[in-house]
Amino acid sequence: MRKMIILSMAFVIGFFLTTKVYARQDKIQVLTTTTDLKSIAEFIGGDKVKVDSICKGYQDPHFVEAKPSFMMKAKKADLFIRVGLELEIGYEQLIIDGSRNPKIRIGQLGHLDAAEGVPLLEVPTTTKVDRSMGDIHPMGNPHYWVDPLNAKIIASNIANRLSKISPENSDYFKENLLKFNRKIDEKLSEWEKKLAPFKGEKIAIYHRSWSYFANRFNLVIACELEPKPGIPPSPGHLKEVIDIIKRENVKIILMEVFYDEKPAYFVAEQTGAKVVIVPNSVGGTKEAKDYFSLIDIIVNKLAEALGR
Amino acid sequence: MRKFLIFIILIFSFSPHYLYAQENDINKLQEEIMLLKSQFEEIKTSYEKKIEQLEAKLEQLEEEEKTTASKATQVASIQQARNFQSFNPDVSVIGDFTTFSTDQKGDEQYNRFNLRQAELAFSSYVDPYARADLFMHVEPGENEWHLGLCEGYLTLLELPHNLQAKIGKVKANFGKINRQHLHSLPWVDYPNMLTNYFGEEGMSAPGVSISGLLPNPWDQYIELTFEAFNNNNSTSFASSDKKDIVYLAHLKNFFELNEKSTLEIGGSFATGLNDDGHNKNRTNLVGIDITYKWRPLREGLYKSLTFQNELLVSHKNQSDGRQRIDSWGAYSSLEYKFSRRWSAFGRFDYSEFPDYSSRHDKAISLGLTFAQSEYCFWRLQFKHTNRNYDKDTNEVWLQCNFGLGPHRAHEY
Repeated sequence: MRKMIILSMAFVIGFFLTTKVYARQDKIQVLTTTTDLKSIAEFIGGDKVKVDSICKGYQDPHFVEAKPSFMMKAKKADLFIRVGLELEIGYEQLIIDGSRNPKIRIGQLGHLDAAEGVPLLEVPTTTKVDRSMGDIHPMGNPHYWVDPLNAKIIASNIANRLSKISPENSDYFKENLLKFNRKIDEKLSEWEKKLAPFKGEKIAIYHRSWSYFANRFNLVIACELEPKPGIPPSPGHLKEVIDIIKRENVKIILMEVFYDEKPAYFVAEQTGAKVVIVPNSVGGTKEAKDYFSLIDIIVNKLAEALGR
Repeated sequence: MRKFLIFIILIFSFSPHYLYAQENDINKLQEEIMLLKSQFEEIKTSYEKKIEQLEAKLEQLEEEEKTTASKATQVASIQQARNFQSFNPDVSVIGDFTTFSTDQKGDEQYNRFNLRQAELAFSSYVDPYARADLFMHVEPGENEWHLGLCEGYLTLLELPHNLQAKIGKVKANFGKINRQHLHSLPWVDYPNMLTNYFGEEGMSAPGVSISGLLPNPWDQYIELTFEAFNNNNSTSFASSDKKDIVYLAHLKNFFELNEKSTLEIGGSFATGLNDDGHNKNRTNLVGIDITYKWRPLREGLYKSLTFQNELLVSHKNQSDGRQRIDSWGAYSSLEYKFSRRWSAFGRFDYSEFPDYSSRHDKAISLGLTFAQSEYCFWRLQFKHTNRNYDKDTNEVWLQCNFGLGPHRAHEY
């Protein structure tokens, strides 16, 4: 028996020592947690990068499971980009540790927090944060990517980091960053123009993931269907929501594609408000192919619903 | 005088032309002035508009700057407060409370409320190369509470060839369920197979665990683990007074069938000397685990299914020429989440005993879980056990499990 154990151990050690690393590629391998980061990284990295994403656009980014298959993706990554602000707290550490890839550990060149430099909203001002507040993010609201000006900060963070990883392509990344920023500026004035007639309009939302968007386009969030972040709507709270919607003359209930639509339609039935279901991330619907089409869809659907 | 008159006549004879020419010029000039004036007005209006816009933008930016600055100050002070804490390990506490009822009046837990366990977990990176996790259990004894170390190990994260090692007291990587702590089970109790072969809380002992991902052309997750730990599991191996080692190997294969479903197939092998004729007689355990999970990504908050199965085969040699005891145990469990907060489960157990292959338990469990939130759940479970060596039993638990603090996320 002892011989068997020694032989099998020797076989495995030999296997580790002699096996080549498969799938070695010339492109910089980037793994992002969300599809929005993937879309921006693809724009900046162009043909110098190969980008994959852990979370799908039609999935709740708070509840991603640390599948071992993600560890295999992380194993190959030269750069791991996260949204940060503890959005990925449920799976990031397991995936990075499980990948056994020292390049992408927190604090390494291959680990990027895309939130660096983003002006944050809803940072709790109480010194103590606890779960009686729901699924609160102690560092601030992490849904910052839906503000196009924050997308410019994300893009800049990615360009800087890619330049450090591949200095020979630094000019290329900077050029792409300029193109990205120019396109955002062009599109932003178009988006602002479309939503300008609804300045100050009050909206209801399902989850607190629209604060940055509302802030950028001068919309006012009147109420949330969730009584507290991450806590499903309760009948008592929905009654309060109905009162607010009636009192404040709220015309729409804005929500993501992955939440239960029933509470929203119930409230809509009671109040006459319109339910607007939009993707919150790239890939949330088939049409949301990249960052620009994502914001296009959100803006167009909102303008259409508010204009009625 | 005459000359003077001629001069006057000449002046007058030319003057209409002159006056006419002058009038034309004035008109032209007036037109030009008007044009210039209108152009000037236009430019003025457009510049005023631009200045107004710029002023508004400046105002907005100043306001934003003020807000950002005040927010930044707030954030900085909060972050400073948190930074002091960031060197502390993540600390969490999990309480597990049950009420238990059975038709066996002789059972010491008969109709009892019971805080079965409080788990204290400490977890943090030690340095750039390692992290440490400690899980302590406070459990009720006969008259007092006992504090014990369930697991406590250092994980070396950056070994060569993508290897990782755990050093300390580790739950043995045998099968799927032995690694799980009581509070993270999908049922109230451990399957009979585990308690009959490894004891009430499974197999764990001080030792070393080394694991690596096997490179393969299909990029599949294939993890191989070798473990060596003190031979102090008295159920299948030897008791703690013996000074030898149990060796264990585990192979984990993970397949992502599609984005909704995954399949995990594991194989385990453990070998160690047993109490019966020490240094000669050995127990060999072979395990197979198969887990299928289905969770549609879009509706993942509301629907999922887990089908989990394990089989364990034991070969226990005996001294004095007695026949080897071959026995086995297995369980099959199905859990279905049908709404955001509710899930139902059923489990079938069959298990013999390492020392008595002729004795067996057969059990069926049914239950319902209500997740009050991500950090607190209630669970009702009914279990009927049929034994061929004792009376049948019916048991009912109501469990309440709650967690405080940032408990480390559970493995998939």
